[in-house]
Amino acid sequence: MISIKKKMSMTSVWSRRLFILSFLLPTLALFALFTIYPLIRGLYLSFFDWSGGSETMNFIGVNNYKELFSDSIIPTAIKNDYFLIFWKVILIMLLATFFAVALTRLRLKEYGFYRIIFFFPNIISVVVIGVLWSFIYNPSLGFLNAFLSLFTKNPIEINWLGSPNLAIWSLLPPSVWAGIGFYMLLIIASILGIPNSLYEAASIDGANEWKQFTGVTLPLIWEQFKTSIIHIVITTLNGSFIIVKLMTDGGPDNQTQVLGYYLYQMGFKQYHLSYGATIGVLILVLSLITTLLINRILHRDTIEM
Amino acid sequence: MNVLSTKKPLLYLSKSIVRLILLLWTIIVIYPVLWTFLTSLKDNQQVMLGKPWDLPTLFRFGNYADVWSRAHFGDYFFNSIMVTVGSIAVSMILAATTAYILARYTFRGRGILYFIYVASMMIPTTLGLIPLFFLLSDLHLSNSLFGLMLVYSVGTIGILPFAIFFLVGFYKTLPRELEEAATIDGSSNYGIFFRIMLPLSKPGLVTVGIMNALTVWNEYIMATVLINDPEKYTVPVGIAIMQAEMQYRTEWGPLFAGLAISMIPVILMYVLYQRQITGGLTAGALKG
Repeated sequence: MISIKKKMSMTSVWSRRLFILSFLLPTLALFALFTIYPLIRGLYLSFFDWSGGSETMNFIGVNNYKELFSDSIIPTAIKNDYFLIFWKVILIMLLATFFAVALTRLRLKEYGFYRIIFFFPNIISVVVIGVLWSFIYNPSLGFLNAFLSLFTKNPIEINWLGSPNLAIWSLLPPSVWAGIGFYMLLIIASILGIPNSLYEAASIDGANEWKQFTGVTLPLIWEQFKTSIIHIVITTLNGSFIIVKLMTDGGPDNQTQVLGYYLYQMGFKQYHLSYGATIGVLILVLSLITTLLINRILHRDTIEM
Repeated sequence: MNVLSTKKPLLYLSKSIVRLILLLWTIIVIYPVLWTFLTSLKDNQQVMLGKPWDLPTLFRFGNYADVWSRAHFGDYFFNSIMVTVGSIAVSMILAATTAYILARYTFRGRGILYFIYVASMMIPTTLGLIPLFFLLSDLHLSNSLFGLMLVYSVGTIGILPFAIFFLVGFYKTLPRELEEAATIDGSSNYGIFFRIMLPLSKPGLVTVGIMNALTVWNEYIMATVLINDPEKYTVPVGIAIMQAEMQYRTEWGPLFAGLAISMIPVILMYVLYQRQITGGLTAGALKG
């Protein structure tokens, strides 16, 4: 190595630099234009009044933010976003952990089969999932009511997505259904990283499966747990929009409105673009705050193996 | 010994219960998918009977022909393929070059550059949605599949940063000896990358390429905002539009044939590359 370095003349130093730049710059330039610039532009837009088109953009300072605080739909949307986050975190993490532990610790020979099946919903388009589940919920044609009717005398005709109380709850099963597999795989991978000797030591000490789970597994997968929960928060704030758009259109009467879909409606249906951008900033701020809070609440001293 | 023997029946019982739950979840996962394919073969009358359990009576494969040509899913399918292949090709070459430098060369700003790419994965896509719409119209690329392809390749949906993140990890695992030998043999930096490193990183490129292809194939938000021309719809947009139209005319069979058409390539990819998809995901996520 040393001899190679010594041979480097000035020209080779320059050709090395040129090589590095030629490999980094095209990517960075396009990334800056299509990813970084829109983010900054979004922040910038939120201080203006603008509805697209060619008319002038008026600087209005924090007026969009004031409007945000007096808009009665925003609290509903935030409440719904956090409703979905809360229940998705609970249900997905419970089921994903249960499946991951069951598949790894019980040493089932069908392990591979379940792994493949359970992950499958994660790679289906959210659009397909939304359309499919709205049909599952269809009051007269869907199989949910048909299934429930098997247990009752009269056919059940619940309007799952149309009634104000049920609609937001009905958005949960598709989100959980589509989410579990990914987190299950993550937890499986971190469980498989735990040395078997720890489990052997625990079982010699007389720890049963549950004790082994709380004493060995849980502390050692905790970091992965935290990462997964944060990931659920970010993807929900970002992506619940599609499920809402396809299944309830925010209705009935904005009862299932979420921030992402409200942004879309403001921006592209009502052409209140700068206000839409302001909602985008709100989403960013909320995801940052929530991420920090979760990091703080779930913080435990990391255990080195 | 005594403890173990008394524990065994209990273990057997709990194992059976766990198996039952796993089986139940398998049904919950598979049945809706199976149901989609079954409904796609029913005619409208049978769907409207409201007996969702029934098997199709006539197996109307005509639903597929119908949705493919009359509802233009053939065009959507072609558009989706073009956009997916294009954005994977563009993002892969951009990611592989950057990842190789980040993994193999030391220079000032390397840490920051890597951090910017990785941190950008945490930023909500929706924040960039409105500005991207106007950026494309400034570039005269609004309502164009090429513009959509560019947004997928390097825009906020995050396939580029993911590819960089994944490939940096991958290049770090490749042995350095080959490059050193090639340097002594007088190969140029470019020669080393294109003739040695790029072919060697094929497994990593395949994994990340497939995962990103799935993301692009399924993407909806950007496609619905950036494309207005019905001739340029991608499959997810076509499905959403068709579902919205169901209020006015009911064509359940063709709609479900549309869902099936969207899922078939995904299922094929999953069957062929199951190991890369599930393995790559966890490998990528665990390093983070």
